[in-house]
Amino acid sequence: MSSSRTDVLVDVTMPQMGVSVAEGTVVGWRVEPGDRIEAEATICEISTDKIDTEVPSPASGVVTEILVPVGETVDVGTVMARIAVGGGGGVAPAPSPPPDGDTVGPSTAETKSPPPAPSARNGNRRYSPVVQRIAAEHGIDLSQVPGTGRGGRVRKQDVLALVETEEPPLHIESPYRPEPPAPTPAPAPALAPIPGAGGELSRMRRQIGEHMKRSLETAATCTTWIEVDMSRVEAARARLGVTALAFVARASIDAIREHPPLNAWLEGERYTRHADVNLGIAVSLGDEGLIVPVIPRAHELSAEGLAARISDIARRARSRQLTPDDVQGGTFTITNPGQYGSIMATPIINQPQVAILDLEAVVKRPVVVTDADGNDSIAIRPMTILGLSWDHRALDGAQAARFLATIKRHLESVA
Amino acid sequence: MPTLTYLQAISAALRDELRADQRVLLMGEDIGVFGGAFKVTDGFVEEFGTDRVMDTPLAESGIIGTAIGAAVVGMRPVCEMQFSDFISCGFDQLVNVAGKMHYRQGLAVPITVRLPSGGGFSGGPFHSQNPEAWFMHSPGIKVVAPSTAEDAKGLLHSAIHDPNPVCYMEHKHLYRRVKGEVPSGVFETPFTARVARPGSDLVVIAYGAMVSVALEATEDLDGAAVEVLDLRSLVPLDEEAILDAVQRCSKVVIVDEANATCAAGAQVAALIAEKGFESLDGPVVRVATPDVPIPFSPPLEQAVLPGVDRVREACRELLAY
Repeated sequence: MSSSRTDVLVDVTMPQMGVSVAEGTVVGWRVEPGDRIEAEATICEISTDKIDTEVPSPASGVVTEILVPVGETVDVGTVMARIAVGGGGGVAPAPSPPPDGDTVGPSTAETKSPPPAPSARNGNRRYSPVVQRIAAEHGIDLSQVPGTGRGGRVRKQDVLALVETEEPPLHIESPYRPEPPAPTPAPAPALAPIPGAGGELSRMRRQIGEHMKRSLETAATCTTWIEVDMSRVEAARARLGVTALAFVARASIDAIREHPPLNAWLEGERYTRHADVNLGIAVSLGDEGLIVPVIPRAHELSAEGLAARISDIARRARSRQLTPDDVQGGTFTITNPGQYGSIMATPIINQPQVAILDLEAVVKRPVVVTDADGNDSIAIRPMTILGLSWDHRALDGAQAARFLATIKRHLESVA
Repeated sequence: MPTLTYLQAISAALRDELRADQRVLLMGEDIGVFGGAFKVTDGFVEEFGTDRVMDTPLAESGIIGTAIGAAVVGMRPVCEMQFSDFISCGFDQLVNVAGKMHYRQGLAVPITVRLPSGGGFSGGPFHSQNPEAWFMHSPGIKVVAPSTAEDAKGLLHSAIHDPNPVCYMEHKHLYRRVKGEVPSGVFETPFTARVARPGSDLVVIAYGAMVSVALEATEDLDGAAVEVLDLRSLVPLDEEAILDAVQRCSKVVIVDEANATCAAGAQVAALIAEKGFESLDGPVVRVATPDVPIPFSPPLEQAVLPGVDRVREACRELLAY
């Protein structure tokens, strides 16, 4: 038995999520055959190589079949499920299992109760503010922490216990660890895994890994650094109530205007310079990974405008509200992990762009300053080290250095 | 150092002030010849005379109003409300005249209003209240509430020396039950909180009579290290000490003997929600008297006032959360 004669079947297809997305993976169904669903209600969750999102039902009706199982990747336009839209109104068309009064309810409820857990979600686990803060500070995946509170709740002491067993990282943000000394007499205790904190990488981690590896294999990556006196930026940002990142973004755009080769894509042999600056900003999603939403036509925005847009995309990234179009079309990227106090890094270029700028901590340092008469003295100045990773296939070191010097000049002359 | 009861410490502070400062005078109902309803000023009239230890008519508005006038011309009056409940009759003088004098006319009103407060002795609805929150809500008035004999003395000295009107909440239940070593002579206790017992797993925030309840309830709580923070001053509220305790302990129980709605503890809870959010590992839990008048009936009164068992149970629940 399928649907009644008056029913019309409506296809649920893998949606076109932005121009560059060709395929998607089903990560979870919210319904199963026989369930009734309203138009626009979420029918399933999908994941593309750019973003995770929910698919709204195209019609109200009863789900007759599901064609793509969880975990399978299909092309855009592929029919994933069908919905019977009843012509007869009130009477719900009979779903494929025979309506057997008592058994239908419980059996569907039973099979539905454990939803296929997408790796990036915490299910029903909620964490207190202090637990989330400690986990974020120590890079702990809370879904792996056994809880001793009521109903298995993760308490402060549970996450602190894990922190104590960890070796203190030398560098919080970077995944790199110093090489252990060659003769390692007894490495075993240090390498003991945290119980229950291992397993297969999440989808997002795998994707980040693939992108980063591909970039390193593709580009001839070099990194150049420059020191910048941030006194004027610090004064201006305190006055305007915006972050230093917004000023660095604005200065980078100004520098790109003077050095257009930096605002380009290199795809194979094909090199394309862009007129618009579509600025990517790396946003950390905590334990899960990071994403690089893009501010299109960023060159039209002031530092304050950029600050507002950066804060908006970061908020939307963290609340999983980005659309695929928010994360594509970037022509230049800035990454800013300086909040933890690290001072230098060698960022990896976001392909197919040709450069990425790294802003780390702004730190007060003694520096030699020269007054108008040429007298030197030592002053305390808020300093930062800007790092630019650039693709030696598209650019040369002198261009990178000139570009950085231009950013420095703009930042040191902020009004 | 002599060991004094809470009540003796209050008497000692008043006596030391009367001896040290000619501007200090006491006013109240039956505080002179009778020595006060609770005998706080017993023998004072003999030493200091009726000009400085003044029996007044049963008119709280008149007591506070007269004190305000005396303060404006340079005196340091200390008014006794026989029971804190009766201050509602002097509310306008205290809240509208004393509290706003500096804002309206730039004049200091250095009066201290002593408020024998609290229940636990079957005094019923007119003799058992904890009205401190009425005055916390009214700008221009400081509110302090000692829990120990030493603080009873030191806070009273500070209140009398303070250039603002100060409501001094003295808990009747503590008068003869709390004892401790108290330094002799005039000394000031700052209007800040005090860690009554350090801990790290949970903090109980309390003041007045609830401090000893909190200490007893958490003395041996399944091995948990429970901190007890004695606020001592409600206006100004020691935000730094509260947030520091929240940051270290992450779980908070706030105890008020007052009726729950808009009590001092509600203000503390709001502060923690606003500024201590990222330190919390559980809901902010309040234990307070329900929003009912205090019953005469002893078992009913014991049922509504926060006691050792209720506080202990609240702490257990939160520790397990």
